[in-house]
Amino acid sequence: MDSLSASTAESFRLLFSGDAALWVIIFTSFSVSVRAILIAAPLAFVVAFLMAHLRYRGRRTMIAGFSALQSIPAVVVGLTVYLVFSRSGPLGDLQLLFTHSSMIIGQILLSFPLLVALSHAAFQAADRRVWETSVTLGAKPYHAFMTLLHEIRFGLIAALLAGFGRIIAEVGCSMMVGGNILGYTRNIPTAIALETTKGEFAQAIALGMVLLALALLLNGLLAFFQGRGEMSS
Amino acid sequence: MSKIIHYSALCKTVHGQLLLDIDSLEIHEQACVALSGRNGAGKSTLMRIIAGLEVPDSVTVIFDGQAMPWRRACQRMRTHVIYLHQNPYLFDRSVTDNIAYGLRHQKLSIKDISRKVAEALDWAGISHLQMRNARELSGGERQRVAFARARILSPRVLLLDEPMTNMDSEAREQTYRMIKRLKDDGVSILLATHEFHTVAHLCDTHLSLESGSLRPRSIDSAGGERKIIPCG
Repeated sequence: MDSLSASTAESFRLLFSGDAALWVIIFTSFSVSVRAILIAAPLAFVVAFLMAHLRYRGRRTMIAGFSALQSIPAVVVGLTVYLVFSRSGPLGDLQLLFTHSSMIIGQILLSFPLLVALSHAAFQAADRRVWETSVTLGAKPYHAFMTLLHEIRFGLIAALLAGFGRIIAEVGCSMMVGGNILGYTRNIPTAIALETTKGEFAQAIALGMVLLALALLLNGLLAFFQGRGEMSS
Repeated sequence: MSKIIHYSALCKTVHGQLLLDIDSLEIHEQACVALSGRNGAGKSTLMRIIAGLEVPDSVTVIFDGQAMPWRRACQRMRTHVIYLHQNPYLFDRSVTDNIAYGLRHQKLSIKDISRKVAEALDWAGISHLQMRNARELSGGERQRVAFARARILSPRVLLLDEPMTNMDSEAREQTYRMIKRLKDDGVSILLATHEFHTVAHLCDTHLSLESGSLRPRSIDSAGGERKIIPCG
């Protein structure tokens, strides 16, 4: 019990004294996940829009497929990316394994189905008159699409937050493709896993508090934006 | 009055049933045409096809005397024809931004846009609402914003889909006045309604959509229906 209290006290000291090692880990986590979500989101929104607005053979299968892919385990995505980028893999020559790039690719693959599924729901719930009004007022398809994004922005922000929440806390994929290299690819979840196995609880608790605060913040924002989305529809 | 658009052999099937089978439909300059029909007769679908928002199964389009394929006709229609929904959709932004929306897709200077928007606000009598979010307005005010937003683009044809539905008498009167002023400005109007008598005084021609076909009807000076003129 004393040990736990001491670890907790030490974790607060690490957090608020600006411990460099700790903040590099936090920065790596945010840097990788923000870049992943910024790359995945635009493409996911376009795919979701096309799924909601076009009628084509296989559309329902595609929707069901993205829904199913939301539950794919992070370690399976990690394993796939690892095999593709490992030396003997098809893209081994790119030497991306154990870099930020491979972590970003893994997180894009993890967040993409969730972003598509949630933004598809937002596009489907959007009023058809948004698109028609834009077009009849002379907007080109690109501008009508941007107007539609603006009109359903709360739903899309909720999708972004959910996607970000999924990848910032995942450990399996980052561990496998990032390699947990100190000062480079070590992020919050992989650091917590490692420090816990070493019995160094102070840093694990400090990082856990960061993740917990982030989870609460994201959920609060999610509830707020989902509420706004309902009101605006 | 010269002909703007002529649609012929227009067919549209919905859920396997033939909804529209129209031999000929002409829209002339400065004409106000009432399009009546019972609920579900296909008035909105026809208007959406005319606006280029919905694709017919088959149609021949002559625009300004020039026959053209559907895709090209669609582009022309989107420049010259504006469709107003039964409940016009206003974007989640200010009244000014709503009215300026169409102009922002044209190559106009900010100064020109501001001047035109100010004129449009004045025309619709909604200058006092310019900074309000359009979503916060009453039904009548929203209708005025929608009319100003359409008028600012100087359309040649305005398609009004049951614009007086669910309106109180005051809002209805305001809408009548705006339609009359648009007509006086030289805009051709196609006005869908299932209560023809309410708009008879505004219209020059009356077409009735029955079983997918358009049947011309005459209107007397008092605004009432007189008789059905057989097709052809």
